[in-house]
Parts: sequence; structure tokens; C-alpha cells
Amino acid sequence: MRNTESAIAAHAVSARFGRVALFEGLTLTVAPGESLAIVGPNGSGKSTLLEILAGLRRPTAGRVLFTAGGDDDARTDRSRIGFMGPRVEPYPDLTGMENLLFAARGGSSRERAAALMERFALRPHRDKLTRHYSSGMRQRLKLAIALVNDPPALFLDEPGAMLDEAGRALLRAEIDARRAERIIVMATNDADEAALCSRRTALG
Amino acid sequence: MGELAKNIRKDLTVEFRNRYALSVALAFAAVATIAASIALAGTVPAPRVQSALLWIVVFFAAMNGLAHAFVREEEQGTALFLRLHATPHTVLTAKLAFNIALLAAIEAVAIPLFVVFLQLEVRAPHSFVAIAAAGCLCLACAVTVLGAMVARAGGRGALFTVIAFPVVIPALWVLIGATARSLERPGPFDSGSVLFLLAFSGAMAGVSYLLFEHIWEE
Repeated sequence: MRNTESAIAAHAVSARFGRVALFEGLTLTVAPGESLAIVGPNGSGKSTLLEILAGLRRPTAGRVLFTAGGDDDARTDRSRIGFMGPRVEPYPDLTGMENLLFAARGGSSRERAAALMERFALRPHRDKLTRHYSSGMRQRLKLAIALVNDPPALFLDEPGAMLDEAGRALLRAEIDARRAERIIVMATNDADEAALCSRRTALG
Repeated sequence: MGELAKNIRKDLTVEFRNRYALSVALAFAAVATIAASIALAGTVPAPRVQSALLWIVVFFAAMNGLAHAFVREEEQGTALFLRLHATPHTVLTAKLAFNIALLAAIEAVAIPLFVVFLQLEVRAPHSFVAIAAAGCLCLACAVTVLGAMVARAGGRGALFTVIAFPVVIPALWVLIGATARSLERPGPFDSGSVLFLLAFSGAMAGVSYLLFEHIWEE
């Protein structure tokens, strides 16, 4: 059970853009079975913190340690994180299924991808180029991509944006199904989404 | 190997569907060659001039397409998606393979156009083919990582050409001279030039592999 050994620890993390400090000296840990909502006004650095915790961006100061399966800094193996956000776009000239298969690693990837397409009600659109997807369909696909490798840590940036009521229900169900064993970190302005998480960190 | 094949297939599928890089490059090669032919009004230029024109056309035709290998990832917002789902060295190798294929396609169109419109006559075919192949490898190795640097810096195609030109000057110098010799007279295989071009490619590829992870992840 590699998932139960995962943890994220951020020590005195700061982010600055030029002279503007988004946050400074932030220390937090997230263990498996914990879910963290990062909340705060627009421009407070929620997405930046999420990317730093996921290892996609270097902090200006401080360090982030992510362990999974006993390996330190397991973010180098990115199949161990699922990341969904507005800056992570699927290829518009690939179909939904092709994008999902591109992200999938390991055996039986086609079966996993097909099952996710079915679960996210994208099966009728699986062979359509994603440039022709609606915003909500693209958001569902992004969530499916984040989940395709069943990662021990899930990072979600405004996951409910663009989703209709059925899509939000799917999102809640997916988070509920993973909360007990996985790490979930979410940046959101939505109070209902933040309520899905066991803890909150407020920025700004 | 599976991941590399998946990345190469992805790049080729995307290009096949939008044909942005290839259509721009081939259109430039065709227009430039025909324009040169019209300007020369039927005069057959000297082999050295033909050689220089050929490599100028190939180089500038390639620049648009080669830049797009990485610039397009940044513009479409897919760069982070790619960073999440492929290792840096796989990305570089796949883009390098794509750029080699693109240059080969440009040469496959430009050389017959030169034969037809500029009366290019090859007198040492073995040397000519080897130099064309090595030139393709050489230009791709030299500019792939530059494309990544320009894209990560938020630059566009024009900046890419300006940066790439001084880097490829030594290779272009040898390419033009060796190609001219293969057009002038039959002769022994030009192993010296081919070796230089392969060594240049190897050095550029080595530097690219050393630098790329830093460029791509920062």
C-alpha cells in the first residue's frame, strides 16, 4: 500500500514575483487521509502554492518534501501526482481518449481510460478533438486525466469551475472516494468545494 | 521506449491534423525557390551559389516549423500538461525526432524544386546525399533546445531565428562548401565534411541533453 506512506511537508515556503510577496514562511504538512483546501481572494497565490506543493514550481524560499512509497521527493515520478488546473490544457488537436491515453502510464491504460470516459459521461465524445469540447466537457476531461494513474496525491485548482450540477456531483463523488487514503489539496474560492476538505489554509 | 514512441506519435498526430509547421515551411521553400528562379531568368547559377541558396532556403523554411515545436506547447497551454506526463529527456528526444522529420520533409521538397527550377545537377551523389542527411541532423540538433529556450522565455519565431543563426553558422559554412563540391565535380566521398557535421550534431545534442531539464523545469 504505497499510498498510505505518502506525505507532503512544506517548510517556510515563500513565493514572490518581483517585489510582490504572495505568501511568506508558510509551513504545513498533508498526510494521507487528509485533504487541504487553500482558500483566499483572487491573486492571493492559491494556484502558485498548489503548483509549489505539487513540485511544478520552485518556491522563492523554503522547501517542499513529498514522499510516496518511501521515496523522498517522489514528484520526479509524476505518475504519483494528479494535477488539474486552468494552466494544464489537454492537446486541442488530440481527441479526449488520445489525451487520456497520453497521460496514462503502466498496464491496462486503455481499459482505465475507457472506464474514466464512461464515468465522466464523455464516452460519446471520446473520438472528438478536444478543441471542439465545451468548457464543461474539457473540465471533466481534465479531472479524468488527473485521476487516470490513480495517484496517491491529487492537486486540484478550481476543480468545479465550468462544471454543471451533474459534473459537480461527479467531482464530489470522486473526492469522497479518495479522501480516506489519498492526499487531496485543492485551491478554491467555492465554499462548497472547500467544505469537501478536512482542513483549510487561508491566504491573503 | 514506450514513452518516447508515445511522445513522437503525439507530435506527429498533432502536426498531421493542423499541418501548421509543415505547410508554412514547404510554402516558404516553394515560394523562395520559384522566386529565385524567376529572378535568375533561366541563367544557371554557379554550384557555390546554388549550394548557398539551397541551404538558405532550407534554413529559413525550417525556422518557422522548428520554433513551433516548443512555442506551440506554450501558446496552447499544453506545456504544463506535457511536463506532468513526460520526462524532460523524453520530451527533448521526441521534439528532436520531430524536427529531424520536418527538416527531412523540407529537404525532400526543396531539393527536387532546385533540380527543376535552378537546374541543380549533382555530380557526386553519394557525398550529396550524405551531406544533406547530416545537414538535416545537424540543424535539428542545433536548434531544438534553442526552441525550448525561446518558448520558455515567452519568445516567438523571429527571436528564435536571430538566436539560432549564429549557432548554426559553422555548420552552414561547411554544408555550403561541401554541397558545392558535390555539385561541381565527381569525386571521392566527402568524409571530412560529413564527420564534422556529425561531430557538430553530437556536441549540440550533448549540450541539449545537459541543459534541457533545467530549461524545461524552471
